[in-house]
Amino acid sequence: MRFLYYDKINNIDKGSSITGIKTFTLSEEFFRRHFKKQALVPGVIYIEAMAQLLGWLIIYSHDFKLSAVMSLVEGAAMPPDLRPGFTAEIHGEIISTSRRDSLGRAWITVEGEKVASMDRIIYSHVQKVNSEDLLHLFYYYSGIRAGS
Amino acid sequence: MRYLLVDHITGYEPGKSIRGIKNVAMSEDFLEFHFPKNPIMPGVMLLEALTQLTGWLEAVSSGFQDWFLVSRVLKSNFYGFAFPGDQVELEVETLEQAGHDTKTYRGSGLVKGRKKIIAEFEGRVIPLEDIEDAEEQKKFFRVLTRELKR
Repeated sequence: MRFLYYDKINNIDKGSSITGIKTFTLSEEFFRRHFKKQALVPGVIYIEAMAQLLGWLIIYSHDFKLSAVMSLVEGAAMPPDLRPGFTAEIHGEIISTSRRDSLGRAWITVEGEKVASMDRIIYSHVQKVNSEDLLHLFYYYSGIRAGS
Repeated sequence: MRYLLVDHITGYEPGKSIRGIKNVAMSEDFLEFHFPKNPIMPGVMLLEALTQLTGWLEAVSSGFQDWFLVSRVLKSNFYGFAFPGDQVELEVETLEQAGHDTKTYRGSGLVKGRKKIIAEFEGRVIPLEDIEDAEEQKKFFRVLTRELKR
């Protein structure tokens, strides 16, 4: 299983906001055990999807000179009963960011309807990073073309 | 990856609390991505371990009639990191009945006595038979609690 919970980034606005999509398919490994009689997207996966996408916005906003690791989540709501076969639009916003840490919020919509949200997420920044590696990963994971 | 985030159940008090173990192994798929060249147990996988343990608490408290699905995370603090080779000691306790079929829990994960996650979450208690074969879950519970019987 590849631990990536977005398929591409649609829009990224430095220091401000990001949107991306994640398509949930029945081929995801976790559906084998979650559950046998019904395939239900595990609630924590929505948190990870929002956290991963917003994490890229933070890295992008700091010019790939640091990385961000989630340290607090507050007020997260998620649907316990969605089965695969839908595309989630993930939205993230930075509330504040400094060299040391960032605060943001995020939400997920499916066909225009909000299904999950996170009031507050705090990231601690990791300063020791290889900027070039991060940049390559960003282009590969986001679907955004280098130089565009 | 087998989406099973609890390796052992080390103790429980029906209706109240449950304790378990999650061993972090270098062979876990997610460590290749989280993070590249720097394997760290993802915080949400620790949260998943706590929600799965809560499922087992509801199951054993109801004679394998119920399971648990998370629908709100009130607060989850992630302290430091759990690394490959670490053994995470998990504990979940029931806080209160939030609504008719909604309950709130507090969970923690410690490595060598140091906290890695403290979370308060809420969710629905649902019929186990809707999602799994109750008899099979019961058998698997015996596997998870094998150490307790010795």
